Amino acid sequence: MLVNNEITKKTSAEGVPRIAVGILLGVLAFGVFIVGFDQGEMLGFTVPADGSEGNEPGTNWAHEFYHDMRHAAGFPCH
Amino acid sequence: MKAITFIAITLLAGAIAGTILGAINQVVVEPYIDHAIELEMLQQNTTAQSGQVITNPAEFAAYRFWQKGGEIIAGTILGLSIGSLYGIVFAYTRGSISGTNNNKKKALIVAGIMWLVLFLMPALKYPPNPPAVGNPETIYYRQSLYVAFLAISGFSALGLAFLYRKMMVASSNNTKKKVIIIPSAVYAAIMAGAYLAMPANPDPINAPIDLVIGFRITSAITISMFWAVLGVIFGALWDKANFISNKIAARHNCNSS
Repeated sequence: MLVNNEITKKTSAEGVPRIAVGILLGVLAFGVFIVGFDQGEMLGFTVPADGSEGNEPGTNWAHEFYHDMRHAAGFPCH
Repeated sequence: MKAITFIAITLLAGAIAGTILGAINQVVVEPYIDHAIELEMLQQNTTAQSGQVITNPAEFAAYRFWQKGGEIIAGTILGLSIGSLYGIVFAYTRGSISGTNNNKKKALIVAGIMWLVLFLMPALKYPPNPPAVGNPETIYYRQSLYVAFLAISGFSALGLAFLYRKMMVASSNNTKKKVIIIPSAVYAAIMAGAYLAMPANPDPINAPIDLVIGFRITSAITISMFWAVLGVIFGALWDKANFISNKIAARHNCNSS
């Protein structure tokens, strides 16, 4: 009985481990945000500190890094 | 299946499919992006007033190299994250997919539905644009529109999937095949309504239309390919993992008895 309770707590009715769902949702949120939506908020440290907004080519390196995939995957971009 | 196995096959399938997407885009989509960026630079340089920096060609080449390399890694990261969502959806829905017991087929069905809901629907309303189209001033507005449309599509599909499951349980064996009609029709109605109600992309298309259409078609092909590859790899890994864990369980039973 105890064992059964243990199992129902850790997995959903479909037998999906809850811990795995949590971890994967974290990966989803992080990855989609940085590739698809980040405008320098999360990876703000990559924007130069000299007061420019990182709009010039090559100055906002994280954004540039994701730039082409963002376009190609259909996310809105600049 | 153990949590760690499930996470591993999900991430592996996503990473492989995403990396392939990034690599194929180098050949298929990049020529359009290159062309669009050339035009963009040309526009910027002709409108530049005195005192503005005009892009230095050597710097520009280095920066494009960085963007192209980044696309492969960004592909891997995007694959990991979309793959994560896909793995979760597959694990929860595979018991409700009727008509086949083959996990590989089920994996492709789930991939197809998610492609429709998460890629095709938003792409029809807000089609992808190459660089040179898109006003930086409106980026947050455009992102909000895109996310809203994506959310309407995704959450409608999620809600209707629960409805579908309830209807399947309630229906008799003769009518099970027809159950899919109502949730599909409701989804189509919601999406048609959202398509008409949501405002259009505010930005004018000021790049040559051939370039924009070529970009949209090629990127749609590679993203569709991504979903197919994801489904095939995930289905194969899922079967493989089940096979191995069954074997271990069988051996364990033999030893203990």
